[in-house]
This record gives sequence, C-alpha cells and structure tokens, in this order.
Amino acid sequence: MKLLPSCRDVSEYLSEAMDSGRPLGMHVRLHLTLCEACRRVLAQFALIRHGAGRAPEAGPSLSDEAKLRLRRALE
Amino acid sequence: MTTDPSGWVDAYGDRLFRYALSRVRDEGAAEDLVQETLLTAYKSRGRFQGASSELTWMTGILRNKIFELYRRQSREVPLLPSDEDADPRSEFFDARHWKSSQAPGDWGGEPARKAETAEFAAALRKCLDALSAGVARAFVLREMEGLDPREAAEVLGVTPGHLAVLLYRARLRLRRCLEKNHFAPEAA
Repeated sequence: MKLLPSCRDVSEYLSEAMDSGRPLGMHVRLHLTLCEACRRVLAQFALIRHGAGRAPEAGPSLSDEAKLRLRRALE
Repeated sequence: MTTDPSGWVDAYGDRLFRYALSRVRDEGAAEDLVQETLLTAYKSRGRFQGASSELTWMTGILRNKIFELYRRQSREVPLLPSDEDADPRSEFFDARHWKSSQAPGDWGGEPARKAETAEFAAALRKCLDALSAGVARAFVLREMEGLDPREAAEVLGVTPGHLAVLLYRARLRLRRCLEKNHFAPEAA
C-alpha cells in the first residue's frame, strides 16, 4: 500500500480533478479500488456539486420593511 | 416588454433575496443586491425581449451583481492562502489515511434525491456559513454558479493554484458538515 498515494493526497487529487477534468491516474484508480473511504469521498464530492447546483433556495424572506423600501426605490 | 414594475417586489423579491443570501451570507448585503438588481432591471426594462422569464432575466442581473461584489471584496481584502482556514489536512488525516473519526461515512439510500431537497439547501447554507469568506466564495462561484475555474479565480483575484486549495478546503469541510447535518446525522 505504501507504493500507492495516501488518502490525503488522493482526496486532494480528486478535488483537483473535478476542476481540471483530467482523468484519474492509474495509481489513484488503484487506490480507489482498495479504499472504501476514498471511493465515498469521490462520490460525495460529486453529490455536493450535484446538490449545490440545483437545490431549491431555502431561507428567510424579505422583511416587510425591506419590501416597502424596495417598492419605494422603484417608484 | 416587462410586467408592471410595481409588482416586481411581490413577484420576485423573496426569491431574489434567498438567491443572494445563499451566496453572500449577510441579510443587509443581500437586500442591497436585490435593490440594485431591481433598479438595474427597471432602467433596462426597455431592452427585455422576453426570450427568458423575467425571473431568469433578473437572476442573471443579480449574479453579475454578486460577482461585482466578490471582486470588490477581493480588491479590498486580497485573499491570501495563509489568511484562510487552516490547512484541514491534519484535521482529517493522520500521516497517510483518514482519521477514523473523520473518514467519510455511508450517506444511505438515495443520496442524490436527498441532495435536491430544500433541507439540503438549508444544511448547505448553514455549512457554508461556517467556512471562511474566501473558501465559501470559491465554492459558491465554482459549484453553485458553475463558473469555470479560470473565471472563478479571476473574480476572486487569486491564481488557479490558490483556487484549487480553496476548493479542496471547502469540499472537505462541507462534506463533513453535510454528513453531520443532513446525510447521516445519526451516525455522526
């Protein structure tokens, strides 16, 4: 296992690959076949991207005062 | 041709506000962005051709306002690697492997469906709030706004290498936070 990259290096490499679009190298792919935690992190990084790009907006609404201010600004 | 601008606040105000708030993390700044967006839309309403919905058109204006704000913030307080979250690697890893307390857990059945819910959006907002400003902005630009890395680095005024560091920190911390708060709270 010491010939393979560490989980630390692999997780960093996986993050970079999400942005560079580079295919995963052989050593990383081999690490992934042996390491469930890093397989999970690969899937979870992708899920976070999936959700962040499409999740419905949640959170508070504008206050009544803010709405009044905005209406006045548009008058 | 737009609808009557007097109805815009009621029709679009809350949605624009939530969009802004999820990206700037400050209610006052989000309100200001909505106001600037509505005023810009009002001034340019003669050019609206109806090729998209009014909300889509206004959201596009709002996105540009958010990018302008990020650029301004990055000029005022440049992002330096040393100023951002401490390197998280020692928190998550021992010399080579995941620390047992930090190793990614099982996110259960149908995690893709769980990542499309309002509950996920709320958890993501909470988790983003816990990140430092630069790390959060990098994530917003890349993963929420879908900018390519070169564009995101330009908005933030950082090198592509620094952006990669910011994104790695964001992903590691958000992964852990979302696991605890949304995907597998009982296991965390």
